[in-house]
Amino acid sequence: MEIQDMLKMMRDPLGAPFFPVVFQVLLVVTWVLHIHFVTSAIGSSAYSIFAFLNKEADHLRLGRIAARLTPNMVGLGIVTGIAPLLFVQVIYDPLWYAANTLTGFWSVTFIFVVMGGYSLAYLFYLKGSKDGRLLWSAVLSLCLLCFAGWVMHALHAVSIRPEQWTYWYAPGGVIDTRGVIFHAYDIPRLFFLLPLQAGLGFAITLLFVAWYLRQRADADPVFLEWTANLGCRIGKTVSLLYGVAGLFWASAEGPEFGLTAFIAVLTFGLSVGLYLFFKSVDKQPIQAGAKAIGVWFAALLLVAIAREVIRTISLGRFDYSVANYPYIIDWGSVLMFGVTSIAGVSVVAYLVMVIYQAGLSADGTVSAKTERFGRIATGLLGAWFGFFLLVGLYTALFLQQ
Amino acid sequence: MYPIWEGLFVHSAMYVAIIATFHVLASHLTVAGAWFNLYIERRAVRENRPELYEYLKRSALGLMVFSYVFGAMSGVGIWQSTTAANPRGISTLIHNFVFYWGSEWYMFLIDVIGIIAYYYTIGRVSKETHLRLAWILALGGSGTLSLIVGILSFKLTPGAWLENGLSLAGFYNPTFWPQWLMRFAFMFVITGGWSLIIATGIPRGYFEREKIIRYAGGIGLIGLVIGVCLWLFWYEPTLPIHARTVMVSPAVVPLTYPVIITGIVAAALGLGLSLLAPQLQRRWIALILMALIQAAIFGAERVREVIRKPDIISGYMSSNQLLFNDLPARGIASEEANLKRDGMMGNLPFMPSPGRLSTNTKIANPQLEIGRTLVTQQCSACHNVSLQTEIRVVNRRFVLRSLADLLVARQRTTAAEIDVYIKAIQGFPYMHEMVGTDAERAAMAIYLEHFITQTYDNQATTISQR
Repeated sequence: MEIQDMLKMMRDPLGAPFFPVVFQVLLVVTWVLHIHFVTSAIGSSAYSIFAFLNKEADHLRLGRIAARLTPNMVGLGIVTGIAPLLFVQVIYDPLWYAANTLTGFWSVTFIFVVMGGYSLAYLFYLKGSKDGRLLWSAVLSLCLLCFAGWVMHALHAVSIRPEQWTYWYAPGGVIDTRGVIFHAYDIPRLFFLLPLQAGLGFAITLLFVAWYLRQRADADPVFLEWTANLGCRIGKTVSLLYGVAGLFWASAEGPEFGLTAFIAVLTFGLSVGLYLFFKSVDKQPIQAGAKAIGVWFAALLLVAIAREVIRTISLGRFDYSVANYPYIIDWGSVLMFGVTSIAGVSVVAYLVMVIYQAGLSADGTVSAKTERFGRIATGLLGAWFGFFLLVGLYTALFLQQ
Repeated sequence: MYPIWEGLFVHSAMYVAIIATFHVLASHLTVAGAWFNLYIERRAVRENRPELYEYLKRSALGLMVFSYVFGAMSGVGIWQSTTAANPRGISTLIHNFVFYWGSEWYMFLIDVIGIIAYYYTIGRVSKETHLRLAWILALGGSGTLSLIVGILSFKLTPGAWLENGLSLAGFYNPTFWPQWLMRFAFMFVITGGWSLIIATGIPRGYFEREKIIRYAGGIGLIGLVIGVCLWLFWYEPTLPIHARTVMVSPAVVPLTYPVIITGIVAAALGLGLSLLAPQLQRRWIALILMALIQAAIFGAERVREVIRKPDIISGYMSSNQLLFNDLPARGIASEEANLKRDGMMGNLPFMPSPGRLSTNTKIANPQLEIGRTLVTQQCSACHNVSLQTEIRVVNRRFVLRSLADLLVARQRTTAAEIDVYIKAIQGFPYMHEMVGTDAERAAMAIYLEHFITQTYDNQATTISQR
């Protein structure tokens, strides 16, 4: 069976419930959010270990903050990871499902690894981050989180190489149903996407934390200045390594897909851009927090687009394109998602505003404007249930007959 | 259509079951725990009883660390495990309901960001603001539950979706409403158990301790009574006849129902004790109660999965991941018809052609290998079909519905006998007809005979995992 026929056959016969390109855009955008939290978790975890080994007072103080950040970042990384996981299955179902079955054992083990990493990070934060006891739990947590990253990387690497799938599954015609082999990986790409982005993500987090906390009346300006400077130093160093890793990635994976120049230019350009950003703010890094977040998300968006280009080119070799994915517009789905989006975005925005404002002052004041917005958002969430029941009633009366 | 992942040591379906059971506990707890906390917090605000925040703080930390985050993680875990175990089943759900899951994702975000906001702002923001956060958590959790019930219940009763192909018809399917209400009721039982664990950890003599234990017992008991009534008088009668037949067939391991009933009785006793004599409640009792509830959930979820057999999506896709019916509203034709005529080998992407096997000089018996490939594709979703998914401890085997054991029990141990047996397999209410040609069926029989020999080469005793 030709690979293009195989890929077409493997697509779900139901097709997508909306324009496939919309899922592609959602996939890219939500992956940015996900990878931000994942890499920040790894960055803060690694730093907290360094801080407790270093034992210098400022490092210890910041290390405790990092230890507290780690489990929360892991939790947010998991939750934000659900969205790209959904969208990839809609338009790239042959890829995702083939990769997950070929690597089945690790695909299933993944979640136990993440649970272990999260639990140990929490253990260290709750019981060890005061005096540095239980440092082993932080180290083991970091190892597990990195291993989870490795598993996801291997799944992705398998998914973009459909020409190998049948060989990997049944070499010589004999099927291997264990799913224990990591069939494909690309170390430079992983190095670029995981540890180096973790370093950069953590640097940005430091700039943001310093900028945010400086607004509190009880802020310690000397410590925050030190924190922002540290973020800037880490950022400048890692952004250079980022570029070098990008060139290795280009030379390793680029030739396979004819994308050497594209990956090299993009990753090196990102590296230079980020270095220049950190350089431009190193006189007063504490002022750069909000801007840093913007720059970082823009950089991650470019990385997400690069990943998508590689996947598109890889599949294009076999005539598989998101643009040609069959679809049928399912208005019930669209209605449900549209209405839930209004309530969901409002409530999430309110919650973020409460966390942000409550952390700015010792007494946790939330502005009257935010409170008004909160009443509306909560009302919308309550009204959503009315909508949900009404649609159910309509369906029972008119669509179930 | 996809490679088969059988599992390693433990059968792939058991990975799904273990993760799913944990997820049900954690996720139901988030919903009912949020409602219980809201109830307590409303009393704290209205009656100006700040001492109740002691309970809320403990509960929120527990919920945040255990329930919300582990609930979300195990939710992803279900995805990973079902994807590896039965990709086309999950694919059908995704392509029907991706936007419903997308909607649920908003609710997840509300849950996880909400519990972080809730815990870290206890005692920091105004009481009114904090109470609003409690409302948001309760509503967000309920939204999550509401959305997932439609997707879960679709698998057993797709309803008019089979005629019109509309996602709404599949979502609000015939068992949606009773299951929705039933899950809401039973989640308060879980919350009762959880609240007892938290409240019994409050120092004795703390003057609200007994009251909270009593509330927890009362709310849990009400949930239990309503849930059982919904099961008996609405959910069970709504089930398709086929499902009710399978429910009392050997497909459900006999131990399942005693486990479920024990959980229900234990919950009634434990919660009743809390209501009537809260001062006697102890943490160890609460922990045992929670463990028995968990065992009952495991049993109930297994029953829910088994009564759908032999389909993964009732009336549409069988457990072997092939479409056995047309869906004209979506322009979809059955896949099995052609495969029965032309054969499976070489006609699906990951079923190697017989020629590829016969030219491989390393394979001593190509027929055996063809048989293994076919048995793996057709049977491994529900059965242990190789030594790869069994655990032997001393002389005991732990396996999931081993085909070797079933065939030995039915005295079909030679290839010829097995061939006849497979030919008539659709006689069981929980089995479909085998897909493939006569020659392929014969190859399956050869492999199964070999598998029986492999399995019984020593005198191990079988313990089924079911």
